Amino acid sequence: MSSPLTQSEKRPVTTLAGMPRWLAFSLLTIVCWGAWGAVSKVASDGVDANTNQIFFTLGLLPLIALVMRSPRLRGGHQRSAGMAWAFVTGILGGTGNIAFFYALVVGGKASIVVPVTALFPLVTVTLAVSFLRERLSGSQKLGLLLALVAIYLLSMV
Amino acid sequence: MTYSWILFASIALVFWGITGVTQKLATNRISSELSFLWFAYAMIAISLVLMLTVTMHWHVRPLIFWLALAGGTLNGLGALTSFTALESGGKASIVISLISLYPLLTVAFAVLVLHEKLTARQGVGIALAIVAAILLSLEPKAPEAQGERS
Repeated sequence: MSSPLTQSEKRPVTTLAGMPRWLAFSLLTIVCWGAWGAVSKVASDGVDANTNQIFFTLGLLPLIALVMRSPRLRGGHQRSAGMAWAFVTGILGGTGNIAFFYALVVGGKASIVVPVTALFPLVTVTLAVSFLRERLSGSQKLGLLLALVAIYLLSMV
Repeated sequence: MTYSWILFASIALVFWGITGVTQKLATNRISSELSFLWFAYAMIAISLVLMLTVTMHWHVRPLIFWLALAGGTLNGLGALTSFTALESGGKASIVISLISLYPLLTVAFAVLVLHEKLTARQGVGIALAIVAAILLSLEPKAPEAQGERS
């Protein structure tokens, strides 16, 4: 495992829609995943988890075709390591999805499995503080605590 | 194995949690676009393994097929924007916590479009999520620029 970087900024800070870029893109992610959650809510009754994963991947293909045209695919440093970390992200995310569905299949109650696994940011924060040396302000720590409670409440089924 | 679900749920919890950090490690080195591509390649690899090892049930209604497909596109778009948020200087701990509040919108959709009733628990969850999002987005100071991408 390569040593994690402590730097968290790679570009000059720019704004988008009057807010820092990272915040604007985080909010965009909430919109995309919120819509995905809504679509999944309707679709999940009619397809099993494994087949859904295949359809899900088919849905990625148009995006892959678009992104492959980006001039920003070149550049960067430690490219092999960067690509490996991104690939690991996909493998861990996909394996996590399968494990999640198996937890339900082998008898885990959705009312417990869904909200508990939704608390995964707790793992991210622990690792980010330990290995990436990220620091949180007091208000962000409070925000994190409230977010975990909110995620738990909103994920209960 | 009565409690094997705990093992699987723990794997999901830990693996999903680690992805926030591996995403950051990727975007510290390469662009969000290239990060997304390799993330998507991993998804393709997992799908190929699934197709070879698990029985698939292809007979689904066309509407369900297209919704599942749209779900993949929307989720992928979210993955791309989350890579961009991290590449743009967002801390993994903050960005991942913030974007994990997306059920807020899913619940709003269920109430507004599917006309589901908002439970008291969801109401409290929504209120807390909004306060949490505001607090998480408060940076102690503007992050300084460090090194531009080559």
